[in-house]
Amino acid sequence: MNDKNKINIFIVEDNKVFALALKADLENAFENMPIQIHLFETGETCMQKFNEENPQIVILDYHLNGKNPDAADGIKVLDWIKEENNETFVVMLTADDDVDIAIKSFQHGASDYVVKSDTQFKKITFSLLNFFEIIKEKSYSAKLLLELNKYKENYLP
Amino acid sequence: MINRESEEYIVNVSNLSYLIEITRGKKHLIREIIDAFLKQVSEELVYINDAITKTDYGTIKRYAHSMKSSVSIMGISMLTPILQEMETLGATADNIEKIKELYQKLNLICEQAIEEIEREKLNYF
Repeated sequence: MNDKNKINIFIVEDNKVFALALKADLENAFENMPIQIHLFETGETCMQKFNEENPQIVILDYHLNGKNPDAADGIKVLDWIKEENNETFVVMLTADDDVDIAIKSFQHGASDYVVKSDTQFKKITFSLLNFFEIIKEKSYSAKLLLELNKYKENYLP
Repeated sequence: MINRESEEYIVNVSNLSYLIEITRGKKHLIREIIDAFLKQVSEELVYINDAITKTDYGTIKRYAHSMKSSVSIMGISMLTPILQEMETLGATADNIEKIKELYQKLNLICEQAIEEIEREKLNYF
């Protein structure tokens, strides 16, 4: 398959066990879709590859500097991503069920916020399903707009 | 499971059913995640123990927080309240003696979990 048609998904999570499990779950959930998942343990490595891979979706841990306090945290990485490409769909992940963290994430441009819990993977899957629905509708709207413009050119004075 | 010799119940602390579910039973994925867990949990226990020795509450909090995610994948649910309490005490920078007690429990349960998971891993070759 042409790589240009693939949907690149970044998982930026310093807990390798969690990241691998999430990757496995998403690949199974979306096995009929052309997704390619890339794992990063730090925000820095994610940012290095961002412009090369152009991910449409980034699943980002809020406490990225959990193990290394000097590393960029989730909000810093979110700010950087939004600066590079405001269209990127970012799902912020955290183990803290804290409304202030949720509000802060949305204020900085996150598209969704998921608390790590028993149902974490299902919530992330639903979040991505919403994203794919949005993409499908945008694509359909763009197609309708094109047809409308053609009609105007051909039939209207 | 009952140990007939000593008439004791042997209770497993880990449960890989969630892992099997999310990987759809794919052996290579299960092995990969088990290997990552065995490596990661050993490191995290050392970091926490080291932090307790230095009364470094920040590091205790961070690693207790991080471990919650990985132990949940491996179905070691009895560790969740222990790690949560360690994280809370780490955040309030309080009661290192209580943290030491919790660490003893954490270490004991992790030792058993590691043994169980290493045995279980043999089923996925």
